[in-house]
Amino acid sequence: MTLRVANPRLMRYYEKPIGVLSKAGNQAIFFGRAIRGVPYTVVHYRSEVIRLVAEISMGTGTLAMIGGTAAIVGFLTLAAGGTLAIQGYSSLGNIGIEALTGFLSAFINVRIAAPVVAGIGLAATFGAGVTAQLGAMRIAEEIDALEAMAIRSVEFLVSTRIVAGMIAITPLYAIAVILSFLASRTVTVILLGQSPGLYDHYFRTFLNPIDLLWSFLQALLMGLAVLMVHTYHGYYATGGPSGVGVAVGNAVRTSLVVVASVTLLVSLAVYGTKGNFHLSG
Amino acid sequence: MSFDAVRYVFRRPFQWGEFRDQAWFVARVSMAPTLLVAIPLTVLIQFTLNILLRELGAADLSGAGAAFGAVTQLGPLVTVLVIAGAGATAMCADLGSRTIREEIAALEVLGIDPVRRLVTPRVLASTLIALLLNGLVVIVGIVGGYVFSVFVQDVSPGAFMAGMTVLTGIRELIISGVKAAFFGAIAGMVACYRGLIITRGGAKAVGTAVNETVVYAFIALFVVNVVITAIGIKMTAK
Repeated sequence: MTLRVANPRLMRYYEKPIGVLSKAGNQAIFFGRAIRGVPYTVVHYRSEVIRLVAEISMGTGTLAMIGGTAAIVGFLTLAAGGTLAIQGYSSLGNIGIEALTGFLSAFINVRIAAPVVAGIGLAATFGAGVTAQLGAMRIAEEIDALEAMAIRSVEFLVSTRIVAGMIAITPLYAIAVILSFLASRTVTVILLGQSPGLYDHYFRTFLNPIDLLWSFLQALLMGLAVLMVHTYHGYYATGGPSGVGVAVGNAVRTSLVVVASVTLLVSLAVYGTKGNFHLSG
Repeated sequence: MSFDAVRYVFRRPFQWGEFRDQAWFVARVSMAPTLLVAIPLTVLIQFTLNILLRELGAADLSGAGAAFGAVTQLGPLVTVLVIAGAGATAMCADLGSRTIREEIAALEVLGIDPVRRLVTPRVLASTLIALLLNGLVVIVGIVGGYVFSVFVQDVSPGAFMAGMTVLTGIRELIISGVKAAFFGAIAGMVACYRGLIITRGGAKAVGTAVNETVVYAFIALFVVNVVITAIGIKMTAK
């Protein structure tokens, strides 16, 4: 105690790693509780889950007016697919193989572009929305009220959202992948004037159904990680109205990193360093 | 309001102090996420690219691919994500909480134009930082690509270095910088706008504003990316 009073700066310096570690431990406990709560949630809060699925896919408030999460994720992947086609067509054209743009679309869209973009879209729309919602509840002491009424707050607020997110992400991701294919095809065939038959041939040859399944797994894992990050930041928001804003910002920042890391880890785990891929067939 | 913000850039006195503070603030907020997002994505792209090139029998060109990918797409893309996801959210949270504490209204009462005092320096700061972050990401991309290709996937280091300038020249670099600057400016404007127009008070409103900032900024930036990529390719492919 005297040491702390005598050297406050020194103590702060030494206590920093302890703070970081205890925060990490706190997160782990929170995630464990949320996951353990899933079976309870499925049994007891089924109507809440259904309501949340609708909310996730359609969005709330102003976001609903422009079509909700589905529209935004779709729009982002549309733009990503378009960029990929423009860039790919011209780069491949540099070495005289622009015929392979279709292959590029089947390969990069499935393995990198769609999962990353869909994950980011999910984090930005639904994830940030969840943080804002839960943060506002925490600040308004609604979460404490729930606990006072003997409702299990983690199960009721967090596990429901995780279950709903897992249900909603599969169709969402399907939309995202289809739109990214469509965008690449439209840009290549209609805007850049490649013959559709050529594009389709290479696209079909290299579209690997197994890759698609792995890519769905990637999206599911990413959705889980993003939701956990965002619920955690919302659930433990502090510091009044501005604290909610800060929590949303922190959550988005963390989940960007999480999305990039999950994509890398899953694709290294799934495809290995040899890539599970043969151009020659 | 965006128009006003741009107009005040040319009016004296310019708020240098605010500009410097904001630039430092945005840089501090986005530095760590930039590195943490750029490194995994670099490795991922390099990994896919090298598999492809090896199949084509052109693993020597992986340097060309790394440089080209980092400069034309990875740099601007990561800049978009970080500047919209980290910089803009922090800025919007800051302005939003000032708005609901009625500090903005107080500024107006004192006869100070909030757009001039707060928005213009912020937009310029985020533009500058986006430009610098883009440079950082490009360097991380090329160095990361080198490490991964040479040490993990056995590409010859000499070939990597030699290939680097094959596809990438000063034009690509300029376009990449222009893109990043546009992204920074747009993200800054969206963040300031959403931060300033909060009307209803309360915690929920600030959270929602930040949420909408991220969404709108992403949408705007992805569209701008497609457009500038198309224009850039037309300009470089003379």
